[in-house]
Amino acid sequence: MMVAMNPQTWDKDVASIEPGGYLFYDSTKPMPSSKFREDITVIGVPLTAITNSTYTDPRQRQLFKNIIYLGALCALLDLDPKVVEQLIGEQYKGKEKLLSSNVHALHLGRDWALQNLKCPLGLRVKKSDKVGDRIFIEGNSAAALGAVYGGATVCAWYPITPSSSVAEAFTSHCKKYRHDPETGKAKYAIVQGEDELASIGIVIGASWNGARAFTATSGPGISLMTEFIGLSYFAEIPAVIMNIQRAGPSTGMPTRTQQCDVIACAYASHGDTKHVLLFPEDPAEAFEFAAAAFDLAERLQTTIFLMLDLDIGMNHRLCRPLKWDDAKQYDRGKVMTAEMLEEGRDFGRYLDVDGDGIPYRTYPGTHPTKGSYFTRGTSRDRYARYSEEGAVYADNMQRLVRKFETAQDMVPRPLQANAAKPTKYGVLYFGSTSPAMDEAIGILEARGHQLDRMRIRAFPFHSSVASFIADHDFVYVVEQNRDAQLRQLIVNENGIDPVRLVPILHYDGTPITARFIANAIGDHQDHLKVTPLRKAVT
Amino acid sequence: MTYIAKPKFHHPGLKKNELGYTHRDYEGKISTLCAGCGHDSITASIIEACYELSIEPHRVAKISGIGCSSKTPDYFLGNSHGFNSVHGRMPSVLTGANLANRDLIYLGVSGDGDSASIGFGQFAHSIRRAVNMTYIVENNGVYGLTKGQFSATADRGSKSKKGVTNTDNAIDLVAIALQLGATFVARSFSGDKTQLVPLIAAAIRHKGASFIDVISPCIAFNNHAGSTKSFDYVREHNDAVNRLDVLVGREPISVDYAPGTVQVVEQHDGSRLALRKLDADYDPHDRLGAMTFLQKHAAKGQIVTGLLYVDPDAEDLHTHLDTVETPLNTMDEQALCPGSAVLDKINASLR
Amino acid sequence: MKPTDISAPDYFHKVVDCQWACPAHTPVPEYIRLIAEGRYSDAYMINWKSNVFPGILGRTCDRPCEPACRRGRVEDNPVAICRLKRVAADFKDDIKHRLPKPGPKNGKRIALVGGGPASLAVARDLAPLGYHCTVFDGDPKAGGMMRSQIPKFRLPDSVIDEETDYILNLGVEFKGGQRVDSLKQLLSENYDAIFVGSGAPRGRELDIPGRNEAGANIHIGIEWLANVSFGHVDKIGRRVIVLGGGNTAMDCCRTARRLGGESVKVVVRSGFEEMKASPWEKEDAIHEDIPILNYMVPVAFKHVAGKLIGVIFQKVRAEYDDKGRRNLVPSGEPDETIPCDDVLVAVGQENAFPWIEADCGIEFDKWHMPKVDPKTFVSTNPKVFFGGDAAFGPKNIIWAVAHGHDAALSIHKMLSGEDINERPLPEVHVSSQKMGIHEWSYDNDISADKRFKVPHRDKVVALKDIRAEVELGYDLKLALGEAQRCLNCDVQTVFAAPLCIECDACVDICPMDCISFTENGEEDDLRQRLKAPSPHHDQALYVSGDLKTGRVMVKDEDVCLHCGLCAERCPTGAWDMQKYLIDMVQAGSTCQSKARSAA
Repeated sequence: MMVAMNPQTWDKDVASIEPGGYLFYDSTKPMPSSKFREDITVIGVPLTAITNSTYTDPRQRQLFKNIIYLGALCALLDLDPKVVEQLIGEQYKGKEKLLSSNVHALHLGRDWALQNLKCPLGLRVKKSDKVGDRIFIEGNSAAALGAVYGGATVCAWYPITPSSSVAEAFTSHCKKYRHDPETGKAKYAIVQGEDELASIGIVIGASWNGARAFTATSGPGISLMTEFIGLSYFAEIPAVIMNIQRAGPSTGMPTRTQQCDVIACAYASHGDTKHVLLFPEDPAEAFEFAAAAFDLAERLQTTIFLMLDLDIGMNHRLCRPLKWDDAKQYDRGKVMTAEMLEEGRDFGRYLDVDGDGIPYRTYPGTHPTKGSYFTRGTSRDRYARYSEEGAVYADNMQRLVRKFETAQDMVPRPLQANAAKPTKYGVLYFGSTSPAMDEAIGILEARGHQLDRMRIRAFPFHSSVASFIADHDFVYVVEQNRDAQLRQLIVNENGIDPVRLVPILHYDGTPITARFIANAIGDHQDHLKVTPLRKAVT
Repeated sequence: MTYIAKPKFHHPGLKKNELGYTHRDYEGKISTLCAGCGHDSITASIIEACYELSIEPHRVAKISGIGCSSKTPDYFLGNSHGFNSVHGRMPSVLTGANLANRDLIYLGVSGDGDSASIGFGQFAHSIRRAVNMTYIVENNGVYGLTKGQFSATADRGSKSKKGVTNTDNAIDLVAIALQLGATFVARSFSGDKTQLVPLIAAAIRHKGASFIDVISPCIAFNNHAGSTKSFDYVREHNDAVNRLDVLVGREPISVDYAPGTVQVVEQHDGSRLALRKLDADYDPHDRLGAMTFLQKHAAKGQIVTGLLYVDPDAEDLHTHLDTVETPLNTMDEQALCPGSAVLDKINASLR
Repeated sequence: MKPTDISAPDYFHKVVDCQWACPAHTPVPEYIRLIAEGRYSDAYMINWKSNVFPGILGRTCDRPCEPACRRGRVEDNPVAICRLKRVAADFKDDIKHRLPKPGPKNGKRIALVGGGPASLAVARDLAPLGYHCTVFDGDPKAGGMMRSQIPKFRLPDSVIDEETDYILNLGVEFKGGQRVDSLKQLLSENYDAIFVGSGAPRGRELDIPGRNEAGANIHIGIEWLANVSFGHVDKIGRRVIVLGGGNTAMDCCRTARRLGGESVKVVVRSGFEEMKASPWEKEDAIHEDIPILNYMVPVAFKHVAGKLIGVIFQKVRAEYDDKGRRNLVPSGEPDETIPCDDVLVAVGQENAFPWIEADCGIEFDKWHMPKVDPKTFVSTNPKVFFGGDAAFGPKNIIWAVAHGHDAALSIHKMLSGEDINERPLPEVHVSSQKMGIHEWSYDNDISADKRFKVPHRDKVVALKDIRAEVELGYDLKLALGEAQRCLNCDVQTVFAAPLCIECDACVDICPMDCISFTENGEEDDLRQRLKAPSPHHDQALYVSGDLKTGRVMVKDEDVCLHCGLCAERCPTGAWDMQKYLIDMVQAGSTCQSKARSAA
């Protein structure tokens, strides 16, 4: 059913209705028949006429029109008005006057429909409890809560759609959960920076000084932050950046979703750099990964990107409840304490003592005579002494590669689900594509296409990604950008023959759908089934 | 710079401060700047100020951007952590570091390119946020590392070493700092340590955004005739409004001041600033007056130096954010994580 | 203060503390640099020219240079200058071809009384100029006290032979075994000049009860040492007491340990610190298990039947009067008797001139010392010169050498018909050491090493053989390490006020806070206003002329490391590091009669 209330998009809306579907519209204004379709049922309700006859205030007329049509829909779809009344009650809790007038409008619409239309329609809303213990939350809010649980104390940000609500949610969570019960003082500091450069600068300064700090931004902000991201990589300073991706490039479509910053974040900044990316599929994972990002940042002493998108970040989503293990302790990584220095442990800020590429760091102010060093973005030796010697530089760059290899086993592993029957085909996907993919697999199966699937949850890629590709003839890589950025990254990082990876790309700014995936993959699979030419000849 | 390390030997009769350190204990690596650079004198002044204040040499965080001036934190307080960050971004890094641990002393060292051009915004915002820091600009009016281009503080009409006249107006960082609400504002000259050392000491003891603009001649590119940042020019045009002594303990103020010539300013931390007035009309508590005074004298080609403004009751960013006394970087999951019980409630509210 | 006149030859000379303190003004830093460079022969020749006996002095010198060494004011110990001198001697190549040749005879004859360091120094300077030098000595071989009184385990004969031969081979006539017993006789032989370098040959007596009765076992230290040296004595009793606290006492006790003295004690009137012996000599004695007992005054020798059985001592303590003078007063404790078999008396030396007749034109003072001009070393007889211990009483070898140089110069001038009182100024060379912005033609990196110890022969072995040299000398590695401790004080900080822009770079870099820029004032006032305390008023302040701001640069020379950082950091070259070489005037120096000013 299409509830067409926007005159600007009328044509598009009407065209998008499935054959046999319903069109609900405001029939106050007469429409020429050319504006309708033969193969649908049209339901006209004179909403403007009803509101005009009921309300005198022009503002009320506009506002209550929505509730009136909701009432009409209740009648048409046989929806229990009590449920809607309850929702209105929640919305206007404490504002009794608004509550009763809204309930009144609801019934106005419902009564009109019951009297004037054939109710209910064949299309029905059925009450059912498939939600279980699942919760309904926006990814941005969940990620902000993850930051609270993960021990973030410093947040610096600059407003940008669609990420602003992360910092706003962090602020409101902190107000509830982060004040000292005795003094009432804040156990956090939130600064709205003058720009993204300042925001990431504050994060890096705070992390350098041993606090857990993060910023939230979107594509244009990432572009601005890249110089600092390079510093974080090279000087090895932890940082957490939540990137709520929107459609780029440039200002692009600020209110539309995409997964278009994969390459920009993976290789952000000049020179040879690589960064850790985390790809949560929904708010629950956004919470989990946000908290984990702080451990990772401190263990790896580098920037961790939490890659949300507008779809996960700003839309309420149903997901499993958030979980926290109270036994968990923050892993602050390799930090040399005053006691360790006093014991005479050799401290080289960039000295790989354990072979994992991760050196020890010290916090400023640790020890009167030991453990201080000069942090810089210039090349230096293992003891943090400035050096432009080629061998010293190369040694350090090699260690950074080693560290990145270590990261592979620290980040969330990919999740694999195999088809019911053995198959030569697989599919790789990540992030907000997840629910559409789950549904698409069902559709494809129904069409006779068996697909093993793997959801990538982080970069650097775990070795199982390469083996998954090796185990299949073709692997579809489904993503929400034009340039197949994840596929590029896999090809680039794992040396995969690009022919083996078939891009399935959705990038119009709307969230990817199961139908889109099923159609694209299904079509490709169908083509594969065409009898080879040579066979036909013989 | 030199190829040898500065010898560890020191004068056997050097005085020690309350902590038992000589001023040599506050040194860092040997400077790699050009011989005669004013910045090295500022480095020496910072060393002297920290020594005199008996600061534990590891309890300072030295943060800088990029440029000649920003290299200097490597040359003092070798037992303190330093951070030579990104061009023009020292203020944000310092702000973050300060938020993480309010217990350290934050020394921001920047230059005129770093703070008046690429980092003008960050300079401004860190001042208006009242970050508790000592922000020193080593101001030579020129880009030294890239060989002598004008910076934004170069005076209009001044000449470059190659003979080019600067036609752009100069940014006066002191005026901007005053306007943005810095609670300690001073200007000094690298060639005048008797003025500079106490100013740095007082700035360190000031709780709030302290800003010191230090004219620091660039020997290589801006010490010629026609420059307004040369040793000779600054010495000729220096108009000091006052001289400062910093009194840390409770000892009575020494008596060798002529009566009526000293103004004592008590700061929050108990330290006192004894200001010997050189200009009888100058009032360092009058922000507007200071701004006017500066403009008038600048128009006459004079460089006003001294403690130009101080608000002894200043507040800082931590006060504004109402943060806990415990440094944020020391808090663990006990202090920071609301736990699973709270999360269960949150989950319930989301169904 | 007035601007310092650095052109005065003495100004920078004083800054080179070691050289200034050395009676012969040996250019110490210069030869130490040559050692560091491995140029041992060159280092030796510099020494030889200046102090004549580098090998001997490198083992035995009293080292006035070392207490003066700037390094001793900077850290715990001075540079081991003396032992580095020995390194030059030990590791040099054959240098005979570099020595001067006997000059064509000028027909003038010089008699030298005594074959010790003073006479030999005179001969060394005069022989190459053509003088016929005849050295008389009662001992069969040249060397004087160096050979007779210094034990062989400190100074082997081979070293004495080598260095005395260098001089005798210049055509010097040596008449060994011919003690001069009449000056009158010598004067009658018509020498053109006579130099008396006969030393202080008489050991002081100790007249206390029992001296005569027990005389068979009581020996005068220097005589006993000479007897040991020439092989007349080769054993001593098991228990030995050495009386006296000077270097002779130290030589006596250590020699006694090698001749059968199992229990050897040194007993001294004064406290340990005030003893005249050099600290290192005391150390060496203690190392050989010889206790030093202080504040004990011998009052009688105890004897039974003409046999010495011990010494009775009164115990004293030091008391100081208002003027800080020390008096030893009885402490009130009972006297102590220390049993012994032999006593060595080493309580001082005296001059003795029984051979100078009253009518030789030599006047004596009330101390029975000849009246000698301290500058020209001429006596009241214009033809007769004195030097070494014979001139002003017991000192040590390096003083004797210095006297010898001055006396030789006087003799040469006199015989050239010049006024011996006109002493020419030394020649001074000053040269910039700058090679590049950060490069100097000397090693300016200051070594932080502590003084290196000189290796010693194993004690058990050393005590068995009286001729086995105890000190083995530095090996080359140790020598290099020690050489690098030298601060190169002769590379001077030279300041050119007109070039200074008062940027403070030198003040900021100076590791020792030597440099201040301040308003001028009187010296005492200025010393109060320097960047660092200025406790040593004997160390000069280097004051510049007025600078642009009206201030002056003041450098306290006291603890300057001569690292050159001030000059490296100076943007205008107002500071420079300039090597200062001073050539002390010796007989035969070129242009000797022209007074020279410093370059």
